[in-house]
Amino acid sequence: MKTALKNIRRSPFQALAAILVVTFTIFIIGIFSLVAIGSRTILLSFETKPQVIAYLKDDHNMSQVGNLINTLTSTEGIKNAIYISKDQALELYKQSVANDPVLLGSVTDWGIVTADILPASIEVTANNPSSFPVVVNLLEQSEIVNVNPQGKKDIDFPQDIITELTKLTTAIRFSGLVLVLIISLVCFLTIVTIISMKIASRRSEIGTMKLLGANNSFIVKPYLQEALIYGFLGGFFGWILNFIALLYSTPFIAPRLSGIISFPISYTFLAIHFASVLGLSLFMSFFAGLFATTRFVKRSK
Amino acid sequence: MIEFINVTKSYPNGDVVIDSLDLVVNPGDFIVITGKSGAGKTTIGRLLIKDLIPNKGKIIFDGEDLAKIPPKKIPLLRRKIGFIFQDFKIIPDKTIGENISIALEIAGFNPSKIQQKVTRLLEMVGLPKKENLFPMQLAGGEIQRASIARAIAADPQVLFADEPTGNLDEQTSIEIFDLLKKINADGTTVIMSTHDVTLIDLHKARHITLQKGKIISDTGGKKKSPENTTKEKIDAKPESKTKK
Repeated sequence: MKTALKNIRRSPFQALAAILVVTFTIFIIGIFSLVAIGSRTILLSFETKPQVIAYLKDDHNMSQVGNLINTLTSTEGIKNAIYISKDQALELYKQSVANDPVLLGSVTDWGIVTADILPASIEVTANNPSSFPVVVNLLEQSEIVNVNPQGKKDIDFPQDIITELTKLTTAIRFSGLVLVLIISLVCFLTIVTIISMKIASRRSEIGTMKLLGANNSFIVKPYLQEALIYGFLGGFFGWILNFIALLYSTPFIAPRLSGIISFPISYTFLAIHFASVLGLSLFMSFFAGLFATTRFVKRSK
Repeated sequence: MIEFINVTKSYPNGDVVIDSLDLVVNPGDFIVITGKSGAGKTTIGRLLIKDLIPNKGKIIFDGEDLAKIPPKKIPLLRRKIGFIFQDFKIIPDKTIGENISIALEIAGFNPSKIQQKVTRLLEMVGLPKKENLFPMQLAGGEIQRASIARAIAADPQVLFADEPTGNLDEQTSIEIFDLLKKINADGTTVIMSTHDVTLIDLHKARHITLQKGKIISDTGGKKKSPENTTKEKIDAKPESKTKK
């Protein structure tokens, strides 16, 4: 380790370049991983809280509603089913337009929107989107579900949103993965180049050590340690930049992801994230150092 | 201990540097090999540490045929043979202490004992308090002493000194010879190549003369005359600086 630290002190700019490249790489990987985890959580949130809404005819009675809810809740893959009456629908509408005085006024002041014009409904929560066809089938068979002007049962479900979100998540993952692979390759090659240069510049010293009886592992050990130091420092600083970016973006992200991701992010998650990126950084640097030293060992045979 | 049996070494350009050489070195020998430049003195040392491979013949060291030693075990062979290089091969950006300790690290000495041993070695070769100096801060004779200390650091069975007095003044050369004799007296087999015949006469060591890779004379290991040691001659002279 002493030799590795001395090597770093002897060529501080090379060491700085290596650490900066690792830092940048880990920063990008860290950000990508956070975005990937975040988008996955958002998707999961939509997937695990899918609501299928069936609007009911005005002439339904509570016995029919009870039967339908019983049928739904006894079906596998359905979490729960609740009845929303016309009055409850009006309350929900008022809550949803609470920030819009004109629309709210249409309910409270002018009486344009009343409970009579809003349909009662049944909201169904499925365990996952694969249960949607079953839910929709049950609702379509029910006589109390309203028929829209197109002649179809009046049922809403967010299949399109989930499809779009899945596409988006896949796109983020793919583009992120390509980006991560490219910068990881750049980082890998930078460390390989720096370590190779250092070995080349000490060829004479290494030659002497070999004549003194040094084996390959003794010779390459300080260079591997040096690569690990780059990996550790780069990984550490890269994650610190990740953490700072997360702190600064929290006020912007938190309200938009309210209910899906809880802010501030838990210390457990941060610790796992830190350990993961640091492990990755150490692995990448060690592998790059091993590659450079193995090339040297093969050439020096 | 060491046996060269009909060893020939030639280079791809056709130059034969060692020609059908037969040589036996017994434990505790002090052998001085002389000869002109290109006579094959250094090649013997390089063949011994398997830095070169002979084209023909067999080299036995410690009962083992060097040809049968796999590449992975060459470092182990080299740890048994201390080598003092003609060009010192002292690492310039390491201190004298670090240069010596690296040989101990290579040999796998316990890190806690390395410092103690380095100090002892430097005292033995007459370089106390020079441990933290860099080679460029030392005179030629001092660097050579440091290289001797490095070569014997790991207690090798054999010490091969390649022209250890090549660029040194007479006084320093005698001191280096004395040091090598002292190392030999402690039980280490010493093989020294040199072109300085005058100094060899002082020691009455076994003297081998090489010419074009062949042994043309071998005194067969004469004993040193106790009343005519180099040490006594140096002691009789006024104190002189080792620095050039």
